[in-house]
Amino acid sequence: MKTLSEESLLLPNPLREGLVEERIPEPAAMVIFGASGDLTRRKLLPALYSLTRDRLLPARFAVLGFGRQVLSDEAFREEMRHGCEEFARRRPVDPALWAAFARNVFYQQGAYDDPAAFRRLKVRLEEIEHTLGLPGNRVFYLSTPPSTFAPVIRSLGHANLAPKPAPGQPFSRVIIEKPFGIDLQTARALNTEVHDILDEQQIYRIDHYLGKETVQNLLVFRFANGIFEPLWNNHFVDHVQITGAETVGVEARGGYFEQAGSMRDMVQNHLLQVLSLAAMEPPVAFEADAVRDEKLKVLKALRFIPVSDFEQQVVRAQYAAGSIGGKTVPGYLSEPDVSPRSTTETFVALKLFIDSWRWAGVPFYLRSGKRMPKRVTEIAIQFKEAPHLLFGKRGETIRPNVLSIRIQPDEGIALNFGSKLPGPAMEIAPVSMEFRYGSSFGVEPPEAYERLLLDCLLGDGTLFTRADEVEASWSWVSRIHQRWAEQVAAGRTTLDSYPAGSWGPDAADRMLAADGRAWRLP
Amino acid sequence: MSPDAEREHANFERFARGEPIAVEVGEIERELGALWKRASSAGDTHAGAAVSRAALWNLVIPARGAGALAKTKALVDEIAQGVPVRAITLCLDDPSDVGAGAGGDGLVATIESNVVSQPGGARVVYSEEITLRGPVAAETHFGALVRALQIPGVPTAALWTDATMPSALLTHELLPVTDRLIVDTGSCVRPPHLFDLQRLAAHAHPLPVADLGWLRLGSLRLLFAGLFDPPVGGAPLHRATRLTVRHRPGGDLSALLLVAWLGQMLGWRPLRSAQTSDGGLRFDFARGDGAAGGIEAFLLPSDGACDATGVLAIELADRGRDEYIVCRTAIDQASVQLPIAPAKAVKLDASSDAELCVAALGPRGRDPLFAKCLAYAGGLWALEPQTTGSRR
Ligand SMILES: NC(=O)c1ccc[n+]([C@@H]2O[C@H](COP(=O)([O-])OP(=O)(O)OC[C@H]3O[C@@H](n4cnc5c(N)ncnc54)[C@H](OP(=O)(O)O)[C@@H]3O)[C@@H](O)[C@H]2O)c1
Repeated sequence: MKTLSEESLLLPNPLREGLVEERIPEPAAMVIFGASGDLTRRKLLPALYSLTRDRLLPARFAVLGFGRQVLSDEAFREEMRHGCEEFARRRPVDPALWAAFARNVFYQQGAYDDPAAFRRLKVRLEEIEHTLGLPGNRVFYLSTPPSTFAPVIRSLGHANLAPKPAPGQPFSRVIIEKPFGIDLQTARALNTEVHDILDEQQIYRIDHYLGKETVQNLLVFRFANGIFEPLWNNHFVDHVQITGAETVGVEARGGYFEQAGSMRDMVQNHLLQVLSLAAMEPPVAFEADAVRDEKLKVLKALRFIPVSDFEQQVVRAQYAAGSIGGKTVPGYLSEPDVSPRSTTETFVALKLFIDSWRWAGVPFYLRSGKRMPKRVTEIAIQFKEAPHLLFGKRGETIRPNVLSIRIQPDEGIALNFGSKLPGPAMEIAPVSMEFRYGSSFGVEPPEAYERLLLDCLLGDGTLFTRADEVEASWSWVSRIHQRWAEQVAAGRTTLDSYPAGSWGPDAADRMLAADGRAWRLP
Repeated sequence: MSPDAEREHANFERFARGEPIAVEVGEIERELGALWKRASSAGDTHAGAAVSRAALWNLVIPARGAGALAKTKALVDEIAQGVPVRAITLCLDDPSDVGAGAGGDGLVATIESNVVSQPGGARVVYSEEITLRGPVAAETHFGALVRALQIPGVPTAALWTDATMPSALLTHELLPVTDRLIVDTGSCVRPPHLFDLQRLAAHAHPLPVADLGWLRLGSLRLLFAGLFDPPVGGAPLHRATRLTVRHRPGGDLSALLLVAWLGQMLGWRPLRSAQTSDGGLRFDFARGDGAAGGIEAFLLPSDGACDATGVLAIELADRGRDEYIVCRTAIDQASVQLPIAPAKAVKLDASSDAELCVAALGPRGRDPLFAKCLAYAGGLWALEPQTTGSRR
């Protein structure tokens, strides 16, 4: 076999031109740390398989799983095959395609902070790359618990596995799972550690919400249609509600959740990301930094909640025993690995303001909770009432226009407006105009992880969170944690309770009622 | 139940099952409207699934004869699974068909629904299919009918793959109301058809023209292009001296398009063509950058298992005699050969015609490279052969 000359490395491939629509990345290897874990089996390998099935991965592509568990290549492939059979969007798994895909799936055992293990990893990776004719492009996926993020990145640095980008050289990128830090201080510290080894452009902090089709559609909806953006401001919008509700409790992750709570688990990342996309100014281009610059401005414009208004703007609560889907479920304090005296919130409702020209005076209400009646994530933009109530006497049937953007499940967009009821009287009834992905396009959108893995391979960071964004959101969220800690220290914990299967505590309803508003039923 | 109500009920049942219902040509929209209204209020008869009437495209498909009509209907059924369309099939009777002319001089129309089911059986999307069938003389009505039946605000594509249809229908009636033209170079049985398509594409300009044949070649093109990704890079392409495309007899048009693609992308200037002693064709090119040494390209008929593209292998050799090969080893398998790595087997997915149509209605159907390569291929074919014996 021949080796490569220097000259050939430098020339771009002219045949790639004209194949831009296909968005096929260059040949590469993906190393997954924590490959024996749940995420690899349920999301990552199924996403890679579905991408292969849709011909979106290059023909030369390898996956190398890494973990402390001892596993043979064969055993790892078998495990991943089961994962794909159960979870891949493209099912059933095609045996011939799987055989070709699995041939390039490997496993390597080692500890995350062991330099020798990383030297072995490097040798193995180079062997694989040599055998498969891969150019040395690498993506490292940190699918391990957050405590290992820094050690793994340090080990990558010591083994020189992720050199900084240089023109004409293969790429090395690192995807980091959530949570990125647990407060501003730890997020900053992690950013510093990571930046010691990697350039920011090599880092892909994943928030799988951003891979969801409707979240991306929010940008298309706002900036590709001429009719909505003129209304998207404090002249026309009365308020915005963002809901992230889950029916599940803490499941087997009580230990993790005790440390996190809804604020860290949902609000700091997913909901603030969604909020920043909904509220941002039009970016100058649909490019990673242009979009992220605008999101950052929103996060930086979030008004810190003053101590004097804290009780009126922040509600936190824990679920008590109740009923979900016809089954009795225990309260949070009776869940495994949860302290009976825990003050961790499983529900949080917030009223916040964005101090910008566009949003001055418009409240954004956010709520997120576990054990809610249904699983739903949505943004609802409620518009102001018509300035003159022409049909005032029938006012009781007139409801404000609401534009709701459903992120999951049944991704779609609906607009509610009043319409005349058929008949001789001028009766008005609310009706809804709906667009649903599944119905309108006849196909279900791809999984968020498919889109995000592909984007990372293509070097597109638009849907990943930048260091300054993470710090800006932690900066806002940490103040709330700080206030809660002060309350606990002063023995004045304000922690409400709500029965599992309800939409949260009364205090959350009172928060909106005080403003003459109410939560919508999502 | 009154006879009218009974008929309505029976029609609705047939509609819900996706069976055709004969309607008056002038009543198509009204009948469809009534059936949809009924379907949306009968949601609970379909496992509780809400009924959505959806269309992202109007898709107009001309066809001639009963055989072509049956094929078109099967195609539309499959397309509807991938993208909701209002399909309008325009069928002219073929005098040789049994029962042709049964509709008399006039047109007959049928409507039917296409249902997409979710896993578990719940039906989610219904799109609709309108079929207009009539004798050859009915062609004059097709333009006006299509204009009347297009859903407003939704783009229209014409799927033009039946070379026996009168091209005036397309150029005079359909193109003015069409947003995308879809053709199939794969259905051109003889190379001169390429010129017809080229003329059509030129006529359609600036409409995007999608070609199912070009899309069919997509996975081979992708695989071949992938050979020159790093670490190999583009150098061997710039140093190429010989290109061979092996194809099954009849697959010469696909092969020609592949040569045209490489010629177009690499800036090769066609010089001459000749027939080879083994029944193939040879084209000589000069390098676009004026560098010394030309490129010879061969289209060689060969045997082997193959899909609808008819292409068996693409082989490129450079000045150093290194070879870069994508070669089909089975209908859905190929071997990729590079000087720097052992040969690798890869799966080649063959898409059905319906899947290609769905792709043609998406962004891949706007590939500007196709028109350029089609024109380039036309230029290659127009080169005067050097040997005696015409290939036309
Ligand atoms: N699962 C999800 O749906 C989901 C969603 C969003 C974010 N995430 C994030 O994605 C990452 C991976 O999630 P996961 O659910 O796959 O996690 P997991 O199953 O708990 O852990 C993944 C693997 O990490 C390794 N590991 C290393 N140090 C460990 C330690 N101290 N304790 C336990 N395991 C350790 C284990 O493999 P070895 O023992 O073989 O080394 C384990 O199989 C986490 O950061 C999580 O927060 C997961």
